[in-house]
Amino acid sequence: MKFVIEGLTVYFPYEFIYREQYAYMVELKHALDARGHCLLEMPTGTGKTITLLSLITSYQLANPSLAKLIYCTRTVHEMEKVLDELRRLHLYQEKEIGSSRAKILALGLSSRKNLCIHPVVSGETSRESVDAGCRKLTASWVRAAAETNLDIETCSFYQGYEKQGSEQPLPPGVYTLHDLRVYGRQRGWCPYFLARQMIQFANVVVYNYQYLLDPKVSGIISKEMQKECIVVFDEAHNIDNVCIEALSVNLRQNNLDGASRNIHKLNQIISRFKETDANRLRQEYNRLVEGLAQQGNLHGSDNWLANPVLPEDILREAVPGNIRRAEHFVAFLQRAVQYLRERLDTDTVVKEGPVSFTTTMSTAAGLDQKALKFCYDRLHSLLLTLEVTEIDEFLHVQTVCNFLTLVGTYTRGFSIIIEPYDERMPHIPDPVLQLSCLDASLAIKPVFDRFQSVVITSGTLSPIDLYPRLLNFNPVIIHSFTMTLTRDCLCPMILARGSDQLPVSSKFDMRSDPGVVRNYGRLLLEMVATVPDGVVCFFVSYSYMDGIINSWNEMGILQEVMQHKLVFIETQDYVETTLALENFRQACDCGRGAVFFSVARGKVAEGIDFDRHYGRLVIMFGVPFQYTLSKILNARLEYLRDTFQIKEGDFLTFDAVASSLRSVLRLFVYLYQRQAAQCVGRVIRSKADYGMMIFADKRYNLPNKRNKLPQWIQSQLREEHLNLSTDMAVHIAREFLRRMAQPSDPQVSKSTLLSQEDLEKMAAMPNF
Amino acid sequence: MEEEDKAPDMEAWERAYADDRSWESLIEDESGLLKAGDDVQQQRQHRRRLIQASGPRIQRGIIRYLCLILDFSRAAGEIDFRPSRMAVVAKAVEDFVREYFDQNPLSQLGIIVMKNGIASVVTELSGSPEAHIRALKSNLESFGEASLQNGLELAHTYVQHIPSYGHREVVIVFSALSTCDPGNILETVKKCKAARMKCSVVGLTAEIYICKHISQETGGSYAVAMNEGHLKEILLEHVPPPAAMPDASSASLVRMGFPQRGSEGAVAICACHKELKIGGGYICPRCRARVCELPTECSLCGLALVSSAHLARSYHHLFPIPTFDELLVDASLRGKSSFAGSCFGCRIQLSGSGSLRLRCPRCKRDFCFDCDVYIHESLHNCPGCETLQEEAVT
Repeated sequence: MKFVIEGLTVYFPYEFIYREQYAYMVELKHALDARGHCLLEMPTGTGKTITLLSLITSYQLANPSLAKLIYCTRTVHEMEKVLDELRRLHLYQEKEIGSSRAKILALGLSSRKNLCIHPVVSGETSRESVDAGCRKLTASWVRAAAETNLDIETCSFYQGYEKQGSEQPLPPGVYTLHDLRVYGRQRGWCPYFLARQMIQFANVVVYNYQYLLDPKVSGIISKEMQKECIVVFDEAHNIDNVCIEALSVNLRQNNLDGASRNIHKLNQIISRFKETDANRLRQEYNRLVEGLAQQGNLHGSDNWLANPVLPEDILREAVPGNIRRAEHFVAFLQRAVQYLRERLDTDTVVKEGPVSFTTTMSTAAGLDQKALKFCYDRLHSLLLTLEVTEIDEFLHVQTVCNFLTLVGTYTRGFSIIIEPYDERMPHIPDPVLQLSCLDASLAIKPVFDRFQSVVITSGTLSPIDLYPRLLNFNPVIIHSFTMTLTRDCLCPMILARGSDQLPVSSKFDMRSDPGVVRNYGRLLLEMVATVPDGVVCFFVSYSYMDGIINSWNEMGILQEVMQHKLVFIETQDYVETTLALENFRQACDCGRGAVFFSVARGKVAEGIDFDRHYGRLVIMFGVPFQYTLSKILNARLEYLRDTFQIKEGDFLTFDAVASSLRSVLRLFVYLYQRQAAQCVGRVIRSKADYGMMIFADKRYNLPNKRNKLPQWIQSQLREEHLNLSTDMAVHIAREFLRRMAQPSDPQVSKSTLLSQEDLEKMAAMPNF
Repeated sequence: MEEEDKAPDMEAWERAYADDRSWESLIEDESGLLKAGDDVQQQRQHRRRLIQASGPRIQRGIIRYLCLILDFSRAAGEIDFRPSRMAVVAKAVEDFVREYFDQNPLSQLGIIVMKNGIASVVTELSGSPEAHIRALKSNLESFGEASLQNGLELAHTYVQHIPSYGHREVVIVFSALSTCDPGNILETVKKCKAARMKCSVVGLTAEIYICKHISQETGGSYAVAMNEGHLKEILLEHVPPPAAMPDASSASLVRMGFPQRGSEGAVAICACHKELKIGGGYICPRCRARVCELPTECSLCGLALVSSAHLARSYHHLFPIPTFDELLVDASLRGKSSFAGSCFGCRIQLSGSGSLRLRCPRCKRDFCFDCDVYIHESLHNCPGCETLQEEAVT
């Protein structure tokens, strides 16, 4: 359908639009008009992606001065979904206004691992090894050598791209990663380099957060983006963590050992070069005297990672004399590794700021701060000079240089914490030296400064006023949308008491109480006997989950649960968990029913959606507070309090509620499952998914936690669903499931949708 | 001691009311009087089913072979339906069986029960409602797991040798929330689909993915009961003969016998019970065997035995009377003489009786809700249209 929002014609590929989608478009347009940043919260599963794409591409059509849309997603899977939606939109636009006007070039960009089509290299398993395999075949000196010596292998796809592809632009259209690979195979061009080349000409670029936020990557990929771009961060609820991780480094014993080995190897190569090709080293020395900035025009295939510090912090001056010569630099690194090793060998926790750390470093080991700053670039240059292609073997020394450069560059917003062992397992020595970034706004600041409009959007950004403070920016629009449901397909409950009316909580002093454990067990047992198909349980931590499962096993609760449903448990092992998930799905599909035990902050099952019958019920056992004794968290809390005046308690609750929500909400990806193919003949089939969520902890009942839930969940959280005991919850669940199993009335679902006529009518009414 | 024994009784007594929440459906009218629920809403609800069922005149499968699979697993012992799910199911099934044979005299039915992980045959496919009900009543106990796969496999062997003109149907009444299968149920579903079995599921608790899958794959329906009344209602939805399957065999002749009723007082050996019987009975026109009930299949020569009344009773499914239109009682029309008047069936005053006003599209006569139900569900003739024809004749 085609409609007009305040003078802008918007092309929307479906025949109906939800009210909140329309409202979202209006707000988004205001932000774009104001050329400012905005923060928008809209419930998951209401078709955010297509709303964003359709408004922004229509905006681009109307304002050709806009450069491009940069759409950032978290995973490759999401990226493909965005591109699929975009393709549908593009087809519709072509139909409406002709293919000549609706010409767009949209493509996804990912790492070599996802794009490589070389038969051998693409078979590698890790990202680093694919990168290294690629470099072995495409580095400039390898190709130069291959011209004279036919025995040296090169990549035919890269050669093909180099000969023709780099000159010709891609024909307009929408390219997913898969399409790029297919196109690459057809033409014999390397899809990775083709994509990197083409993002300059593209109207829409879809890639990972890292390509904008991590300075190591963005320095290479996103350097040439114009100011007139619109940047969208989708699913951006943990954008602050991504920012922090981009600038944080952890060093462990094995990193340092590996770094030593690497340095040893570098020494060998240097001495070999000295005998055979001393000239090269001298050339490099001269180049370094002129400054690192000179090396900017490297060949495309030669640069792999840029400097880890943010663009404006990079010094454009000559490399200091004491690390200009290769052997001096290697000796410098050796001293640095030695020093770090000494620091790591401690039995007390040490917390330091970067300034005091560099000061003691220079007095104790003679490593001056200025030289530290250049470590990463110096190493980069050295590896190039020595024509090292196996970069994956030199990861450890890269990590060390990364650390040194960051420490040398920043004086604020970071802290260095050395812990001799994990607090939770004090018997196992596992020393770690952490450089942790405390300020999420550091990494994202260049993005806000550079681009005209940045859109941060997600299903859960509550409390929405905290994000501007965390990320330190001034949005022109902040809005949280509610949703119009065709029926109450969302049933949140807060369970505060067990079946014996005693309060349940995962509070530290209560969590080992057998009464609480039994009450939680009874709750699970009652629920698996009431809810069909898949049930997902989240616990606050791995150790808590292990403990509670053990006690349930001893109490015989687990055996009773198994009579109703099969039990699957998430572990920290990736392969194991993937297998468990697969079998979980199978058990749900074939009607046996299954329970999945997971951890609220668990990394493994993160990003897996439990939609439809895979997650009819999600139980959150306890409030997943972060481990408050963690030194890093404390440092960050202190920093937030001092710099942004955010109270510790506020941040902790926000974080805990948000992360429990994120776990719980994974079942609601397809609240409105919109299937375009079924929109044929003006009949929309609104196959509404449904599900329940139980927050099982008395602390959720407190207003300070409850108010941190997004508006659209609060509106579903009825008074009688608060402060429940187990039997009341079971009763509500039973009723809810029966009600949801009834066929939905098509008449009612129509009323939440707007057709083109409705919109025209609304536009005619001035006061809408 | 005595008091302790009584305590749980009290709780159960209270819980019966707590679970029903009957007070929630009470409605206060303008004058402050309490009414039990909204009559008109309920009537509309009832009619919705009728309207959905009526479509354009379609070919229907009159000769049905229906296999009823009942779940008597542990879950059937739950007491969220009173006195237990199993008892409620048995009651509803009893009604269903009677109604089924009443409306489908040419069809047959068999009952399978799932319990303890296995499926067992209660009654073979046959035509006598009383025999089914008797067998079912003697089989009421619940334990163990339910296995949909075993149930479907058994039903599959059951219907394999029935003639190609018969409609193969399976109706599963499912109390459990999970199925414990020996193998891959998805394969069994494919097999059922290949055998043109139409599997429908009536759930008692919640929507279960596999049940939905089974019904979607095989072209059946899936519904979940809200309460006892609703359970009966959705079970009875399976009574009218379904639309003929598109790939069903083309019209073919079916050989049938119309037996004569034996003279009263005659003594003969009954072919179905294999014992001496006095009086009644029907004589197979081909082999002269005596059978007790119609319709059935002659146990000697295998001829289908029906009576002409049975055929006539099936006839209305093919030529149903149209659904009546609801006339909305507009406030402006109320009181006008044209809108007053009474039900053509029972002469009750239609305005202010709390009933819907329904009009036959053919003869344009108005009827009340009760008459509408009677006409469509039992009479299968519209009195208005019939009198019109009579007038035309005279």
